[in-house]
Formats: sequence, C-alpha cells, structure tokens
Amino acid sequence: MLAVRDLGRKFGPRWVLRHIEFSLEPGEVLVVRGRNGAGKSTLLRLLAGLLSPSEGTVALPPGPLRTAVGYAALDLALYPGLTAREHLQFSATMRQIEDSGDVLLGQVGLANAADRPVGQFSSGMRARLKLALALQASPPVLLLDEPTASLDEEGRAIVDTLVDRQRDRGVVVLATNDPHDCRQATGVLQLE
Amino acid sequence: MKEVAAVFQKEWRAEVRSRHGLFTAGLFSVLAVVAMSFAGYGLRPSGSLAAGMLCVTLLFSAILALPRTFLIEDEQGTFDLLRLIGEPGPVFVGKTLYNIVQMLVTGALLGTVFLALSGVEVRSGPLLVAGLGLQCVALAAAVSLCGALVIGASNRWVLAGAVAMPLLLPQVFLGVGALRVALGEGMSAGGWQSVAGLAGFAVAALASGPLIASAVWREE
Repeated sequence: MLAVRDLGRKFGPRWVLRHIEFSLEPGEVLVVRGRNGAGKSTLLRLLAGLLSPSEGTVALPPGPLRTAVGYAALDLALYPGLTAREHLQFSATMRQIEDSGDVLLGQVGLANAADRPVGQFSSGMRARLKLALALQASPPVLLLDEPTASLDEEGRAIVDTLVDRQRDRGVVVLATNDPHDCRQATGVLQLE
Repeated sequence: MKEVAAVFQKEWRAEVRSRHGLFTAGLFSVLAVVAMSFAGYGLRPSGSLAAGMLCVTLLFSAILALPRTFLIEDEQGTFDLLRLIGEPGPVFVGKTLYNIVQMLVTGALLGTVFLALSGVEVRSGPLLVAGLGLQCVALAAAVSLCGALVIGASNRWVLAGAVAMPLLLPQVFLGVGALRVALGEGMSAGGWQSVAGLAGFAVAALASGPLIASAVWREE
C-alpha cells in the first residue's frame, strides 16, 4: 500500500535523509522517531508530495494525491478568516468529493465551534481541524506529524480513536517522540 | 469549474472579512489622483500626460494589492494546504478571476475620480472603457502570473519585482497608447490597435498561467 525505496532528500549540499526503506500493508501503523532535526517532518512531507525526493521513490496507492494521502502537521497553517465548516467545504470541493464536514467536525469535537473563524481557535482546536481535513477524503494513507503535541486528554483520545479506525482502511505514519502516540504502533522507524 | 468557483469564493470571503486588497488599492488610487489634481490645479493635462498618470496609478494599485492573493498563501503558511487539497490549474484560474474583479472595481473607481478631478475631455468613451477595462484584466493576469511563478521561493518578494518588470512594462505602454487616443491625442486606429495588444497580452497570460502553476507548484 505504501512502499518507500532508498528515499533521500538533501537541502543544498546537506543530506537530511538518506537510504530510507520501508513498506506498509493495510492495518499497519509506523511510528517515526528521532531527535529534533533528524528528518521526521521532512520524511512526512516527502510522503505527502509536498517535497520531491532527491533520490529514491515513494509508491502510493493509485489515484490523485489529494484523496490518496491525508496529512496533518503542526506547521500546516489554516485560513484565519474562514470558519472550520468553510475549511471542510472548501477542501471537499477542491478534492471533488461530497462532504458537508458535519460528521468530521463532530468526530474531532468541533461541532460547537463549526461556524467560528479559525483565527479565534486555540492551537488544540486547530490541531483537531487539521485532523478532520486529513481524514476528509477517507485516504488510504494517513500522515500525522506530532498529532497530539497541542492536544488535551480528550483530544489525544480522539486521535487514538481515529488512528484505530484508519487501520481498517489503510496505513498510518506517525512522526512523534511522545510515548503516548507509540501505543498503537506496529513498527518503529528510528531516524539518526 | 466548481474548484475555480470555490477558490474565487474563498478569496472573496477573505476580502470581505479583512477588506485588505480593495481598501489598499482603492485608497491608494484615490489619494494618488487627488494629489495629482492638487499639484496641477487649474491646468488641464494633455491626453498623453493624463493617460500616463492614469496607467501608472493603476499599475501601482495592482502592485500594491494583487500579489497578496498568491504570496499571502506562502506568507501565512497555507500554500501547503492548498497544494494538498487542490490542483494548480483551478487554483490559478480562481485566484486570477478574483484579481480581475478586484482590479476592475479599482479601475472603475480610479477612472471616475480621475476624470472628475482632472477635467480631461474624453474623445472616445468606448475606447476609454475598453482600454481601461482591458488594462485592468491584463494587469491582474500578469501580476497573478508573477505571483504563481515566485510563490515558494525563499526570496519571493525580490524575485516578484524582477519577474514583474518585463511582464508589466509592455502593457503599460499599450495602456497609454489606448488611453491617450481616448483622451484626445493620436489616431483612433492606433488606440484600438493598443486595445487589441492588451487583449492579446491578457489572453496569453491567462492561458499560460495554469500550465506554469502546474509546473512550478509541484516542486519544492
């Protein structure tokens, strides 16, 4: 379902990642660990198609990237002037899928804040909305970069539930150093 | 088509809530025209001079307001989200259409205030409307193209200036060529020829934009 072969990325002359290899089958959850600057976020950006590899390949399930991959990261920004519902409606139209966003907003605990501008959201609420956006197209590959970093206990439980559900339809790659996030791991990739 | 409309709607909502682009462009245009009228109080500018003043004010209004449509995505970090959920072509077209509407509103406001304050005589109304309108469209398309080219670059604002120069200069000349005739100088055929040039420029920028965006946005 997701196969990475000899993947590498350099910025200028410096290699941030090199010789990364793994493959995941449906139901697997890979946790990517490593110190700050080890390349965890770079690896997820490569898998999401936001960066192009300097060497190696990433094989994703067939179909457009926007529906094959769901990506949520701390540094992924949202539109401060749009509401949570407008984000999901905009995303659904762009991805060419039918979704009002109501179900997802309920799942991530944002039903009561659906019509508030995201500029008024806390960092935890923004993290929840990013999770909803990542899951919107029911992607077979879900990429989460530090998904629980700004979440409270309730938010962490939501991530656990959604990751568990994702295992029924595909794979999850989690970049984190938080022991809590590693509980559902079926494999660990340690970056040096 | 739905994707283009969604991008347009997103830009419109952001503008309605922030009032940044139209407010900046409109305020600059009115201030510039009022200042020029004050400086030339009691004098009636020639057709060529009036056309030049109008085109230069329009150019600066566009440069002030329009790059934000593209470069703001990079500045506020939402470009990644846009690339994750959308295709470059519809995003470019939606944003450019929004820029065109914004520029047409600015152009209409600027033209009205300018004509009212400068006392310039209009020889050909249709040529004035066509020249001003098409220059707005060509400016919006060129500035959008410029934004699409430099988005993602680390030195994007410097690069935007460098890329804008060859894209904007020819159409300013064409705009002056059309408007000077509309405002009483030169041959009518020359004016319409400039209008045709502006239309060609706009079509070329609009047609090549989605292709350029597709080529540039997937790489980082």
